[in-house]
Amino acid sequence: MTTADTIGSSDAAWMAERRSAASTALATLSMPSPREEIWRYLDLDFDPGLAAAATEPGDTAPPDAVMSGWEGSFISVVDGFVVSEGVGTASASESEVALPDDGDLFSTASRAFAPGAALIGKGLLDTPVFVDVQSTGTATSFPGVHVDVPAGSDATVLVRYRSTTGEPATVVPTVTATVGDNARLTLTVIQDWNYRTRAMGRGVVSLGRDAGLTLTEVGLGGLVGRLHLDVDFVGRGSHAKVYGAYFGEEDQTLDYRYFMNHIGTDTRCDMFLKGAVEDDALSVFTGLIRIEESGQKTESFQTNRNLILSPGASAQSVPNLEILANDVKCGHGSSVGPLDEDQRYYLMSRGLTPERADRLQVHGFFEEVIDVIPDDSVADWVRTRINDKYVTAQQEGRV
Amino acid sequence: MNPALEVTGLTASIGDLEILRGVDLAVPFGEVHAIMGPNGSGKSTLSHVLMGKSDYEASGSAKIDGVEIMGLPVDERARAGLFEAFQYPTEIPGVSLDELTSEMALSNPDDDGYAARVDAASDRLSMDRFRGRAVNVGLSGGEKKRSEMYLLGVANPKVAILDEIDSGLDIDAVREVAAMVESLRSPGLGVVIITHYSRILRYLDVDRVHVMVGGRIVKSGGPEVAEELEGAGYTEYVVRST
Ligand SMILES: Nc1ncnc2c1ncn2[C@@H]1O[C@H](COP(=O)(O)OP(=O)(O)O)[C@@H](O)[C@H]1O
Ligand SMILES: [Mg+2]
Repeated sequence: MTTADTIGSSDAAWMAERRSAASTALATLSMPSPREEIWRYLDLDFDPGLAAAATEPGDTAPPDAVMSGWEGSFISVVDGFVVSEGVGTASASESEVALPDDGDLFSTASRAFAPGAALIGKGLLDTPVFVDVQSTGTATSFPGVHVDVPAGSDATVLVRYRSTTGEPATVVPTVTATVGDNARLTLTVIQDWNYRTRAMGRGVVSLGRDAGLTLTEVGLGGLVGRLHLDVDFVGRGSHAKVYGAYFGEEDQTLDYRYFMNHIGTDTRCDMFLKGAVEDDALSVFTGLIRIEESGQKTESFQTNRNLILSPGASAQSVPNLEILANDVKCGHGSSVGPLDEDQRYYLMSRGLTPERADRLQVHGFFEEVIDVIPDDSVADWVRTRINDKYVTAQQEGRV
Repeated sequence: MNPALEVTGLTASIGDLEILRGVDLAVPFGEVHAIMGPNGSGKSTLSHVLMGKSDYEASGSAKIDGVEIMGLPVDERARAGLFEAFQYPTEIPGVSLDELTSEMALSNPDDDGYAARVDAASDRLSMDRFRGRAVNVGLSGGEKKRSEMYLLGVANPKVAILDEIDSGLDIDAVREVAAMVESLRSPGLGVVIITHYSRILRYLDVDRVHVMVGGRIVKSGGPEVAEELEGAGYTEYVVRST
């Protein structure tokens, strides 16, 4: 499974053609506008640096704490380029099917510049795979990860995004996955860019018959950390649990646009995202459960809960339903608010200082999501990261 | 010797609503007292105002072992030796009982007895299977009371106020709770049981009974007061106080 295997000559020609068409289209496109619903609430007044797209990988940084307890294999993607030996990139046709053309600037730029998504399929999936996606400097990069889970098999993949320097950069990461009939994918995505990096992420997961997905997204870093995600429940009986935990501080924007598209019958989705914001951070969750006429017997639920920890922080939470079938069960819940006074009172009545009471409450708030991260050492790392952010803010009087 | 708890002239209101209209109460160390009264008479308010809940405008004095606690933040009152077992214990999702008790210990570094008390109270109340579970989440009424009694054992207070510790329980559970309260009796602790039924008092020896109506203690006496109430109810006092 080398690059040469997956990109045959006709494929290479197709890819070249697609790139050149995208480059042409790019010339006519400008930044998306926050007047469009899908970009609403975002500050898009910045230069995405397309003229400075990465043309080669920078220096690969060594493994760090979150990787130390991982029992499985590692793949490195640096500035968009797959640098691990023996790992190929997705073919043009695979990419075409997995990732639709959204027609906007970032989607088009990705088609014009992305060197090709790391292909994680049969053979690589025997053990859990950790994909270490690094941005090493100021160059704009287009890292892609494509997971192809063959019918009947089980796969565990973790994608961790990080900046190896403090440099500002724009990154357009994509994660795509096709989960075959009766296959299962446990996918964890950790977004951990530095606070000067804008990441405009795009994800698409397509589920076959009776296929199962557990997707957990952890949002920690990024000046902008965006994920526009589609989960397509194509196969009858396909099902997913979609979890999220995000913690924003300083002037971060953490931005989630989740679309659950129920196409097959008897599909099921539970979506549960929890976030907290402090300082001047903003979080956005817009979720859509869309059930096609063909999606009878679907059950789909979404819940988004947000804690506002400082007066300058804010959260937008907008769940939506679009139901074209008549025999379905759906529900959504959303909340935005400060720490709970009753919990604080109860904990303080047990002798906890107000700082400890609030810390424990924040810890408990996220635990429902962190607890489902499949790898215990990764879960611990996330737990500690969130706790450290909050404790530091407490010590500095920012919350 | 100071009483465990000494309350004088305690008043509390929310906006224009006067709830406590001058409560006087003394509970010596080693004793168990009951406060009885009809619904709405201010019993829970009394325990919350002593604990320092911020909803109320309060005035008057409350001392734990001679130390004034009015005006202190909630956690300092707890560390001064006050424990309130809640009528409706708050659920703390995602936080286990073990995490809570270790934070209790960390918040009170001068007291190095927490670990031993966790073990002892856990054994005594068979709490093993609850300690890894989230605080009060998904527990039955009886289990919540047991959990509160467990935290009381861990906290090792000088004054324990047990608000409606018997409400919503079937008769076997009431007996069990009564036994737990009985086992608390010790020379270093004053206990106040708040209830609007005399039921639990059948299984428990109390030293004194105080009747609260309309935000005041209108009668105090021995256990016979509870027996009288069982027969006649609160009508006499309610009529007199209005
Ligand atoms: N937080 C509150 N907000 C508004 N009214 C309250 C509050 N707490 C108590 N009250 C009122 O004060 C009175 C006494 O309530 P409470 O102390 O709960 O009585 P008890 O415990 O004796 O049943 C009631 O009329 C109740 O409605
Ligand atoms: Mg009450």
